[in-house]
Amino acid sequence: MDIEISHVSKIFSKKEVLKDISLTAREGEILCLLGPSGAGKTTLIRLVTGGLRPDSGEIRIGGQKFPNRETMKRIGFMPQDDAVYSDLSGLDNLLFFGRLFGLSGRGLKQKAEDALGWVDLQKDSRKLVSRYSGGMKKRLSLAVTLLHDPSILLLDEPTVGIDPVLRKSIWDRFEDLRQTGKTIIVSTHVMDEAARCQRAALLYEGCLIENDTTSNLLLKTQSGSLEQLFFSAGKTGDAR
Amino acid sequence: MKGLIIRILHQMGNDKRTLALMIIAPILILSLLYLLLGEGNYTPRISVTEDFPSALLTELNKQDVNVTVLGDNTNPVTTSEAQGDSLLKDKKSDAVVNVDTDGIHIRMLVAGSSKAATITSALKNAASAVNPTSSMNFSYVYGRADSTSFNSLGFVLLGVLSFFFVFIISGISFVRERETGTLERLMATPIRRISVVGGYTAGFGILSAIQSTLIVLFSRYVLGMEFEGPVWLAIIIMILLAFTAVSIGAFVSIFANNEFQVMQFIPLIVVPQMFFSGLITIDTLPYGLGNLSYFMPVYYGCSGLEKVMIKGFGIKGVWIDLCMLLVFILVFFILNIFALKKYRKL
Repeated sequence: MDIEISHVSKIFSKKEVLKDISLTAREGEILCLLGPSGAGKTTLIRLVTGGLRPDSGEIRIGGQKFPNRETMKRIGFMPQDDAVYSDLSGLDNLLFFGRLFGLSGRGLKQKAEDALGWVDLQKDSRKLVSRYSGGMKKRLSLAVTLLHDPSILLLDEPTVGIDPVLRKSIWDRFEDLRQTGKTIIVSTHVMDEAARCQRAALLYEGCLIENDTTSNLLLKTQSGSLEQLFFSAGKTGDAR
Repeated sequence: MKGLIIRILHQMGNDKRTLALMIIAPILILSLLYLLLGEGNYTPRISVTEDFPSALLTELNKQDVNVTVLGDNTNPVTTSEAQGDSLLKDKKSDAVVNVDTDGIHIRMLVAGSSKAATITSALKNAASAVNPTSSMNFSYVYGRADSTSFNSLGFVLLGVLSFFFVFIISGISFVRERETGTLERLMATPIRRISVVGGYTAGFGILSAIQSTLIVLFSRYVLGMEFEGPVWLAIIIMILLAFTAVSIGAFVSIFANNEFQVMQFIPLIVVPQMFFSGLITIDTLPYGLGNLSYFMPVYYGCSGLEKVMIKGFGIKGVWIDLCMLLVFILVFFILNIFALKKYRKL
């Protein structure tokens, strides 16, 4: 399912945090949202989760106007904070979110076990999350996101505070999912992660400054580093 | 919605301390007050019959009481027992006193209240000055002569304590849900807002129902609190009051950014309601402040409990209180559904 964002703006207490964004995320591609903190990456993702409504413009998912409850069933959202219940066990967290997606009984148990397997948490599944390490919580959060086998993945800075080994294994997982035909949007401010995406959108102070395939974007820079695109955006911004 | 209920019960099961707070703390406070409860200060109003001995009347006037003589031009009430009782029930008077050959007869509304204690001591002082040997006979419209302060105020404690603890626990867990980002995640699932509120209300409702039942049974069978009416009816009132506390706690948490700010709502939401729970006699309040009680769920909860526990009313006597509690639950239920729009319009 493609995600089409057209002419979307969002205003928070008179400040325009997203200005006329048009962007498409395609099935079987990873779209990377790049930008410094405060650029509007999280706001854009929250618009696609249905948590926020745009002040103007619209979002279509699979051709249908969003938000609607049918499409929400097919979205897996991984928020920036771990957003898991620390006073529940890992397994209970998965069972809870699974029920919200209408799963139940043996099917739910099986899916929860599978999800725990993907993130290598089977043996800690009955431990309370309050006793998990930071990396374990992150992995559990990812398991919650993948649990109901969503067609669309919205991942808000999924690798912040993660060690390089785990980061690599998480990105390998994203690549596997992409190949099965998922639509994936990942936000990050780590530029080298963009190299693993097919397409990148650069946000700067609420504006979309670049939106192209990663390979095209890299051609635009002399140094072969995407950071440079931000530096030149900063300069034109200052000149204004 | 079922998922939410199961989750809340699991969370509480994992957090034994909070669970213990919910049940043990009210029981502890009740037990402590049972041991400690003292008497308050109040100027009672006493009505005496026309044929009241003038020597005794003079002495009584010296005491710290307001005396009205019945049957004169300004207050043409005869002194049959039924009319004396209606005077007490309408709260026009705290005691009706007459004297005959058997001694002094004192009739009051409820036994064991602080009013009753003050009136008794005033009459004893007056009588000892005139005729120390005269006997005093007490009777009450509601309740028995051996009631204590704890018994007559027990309903206030039950109502206020259960409201207080449930309010805090529901408010804080809702705030925590927002703080940790799980609410945002919850609202990114296809769950309906009405199911979120319903699940929350039901989940914490079940816990507080258990709490209410245990506290009422403890008060009745361990502390020996008097229940003139049916115990089950008192439990139902307590459960309804706890449900309002869940809804109000969740609602208030919208205006709080962290756990500490939930605590700041205690003096704003809980303490004023305590004043209108029957702790202070509402009809003696100045400036018509007593009318505020109609906006307070604790008032309806406590007045319902008073009717059941002290006056021995059945369901017919408390249906208005039950309905008002249901109205509060419904209103805050709807408000909470709207409040969640902040997190998702759909």
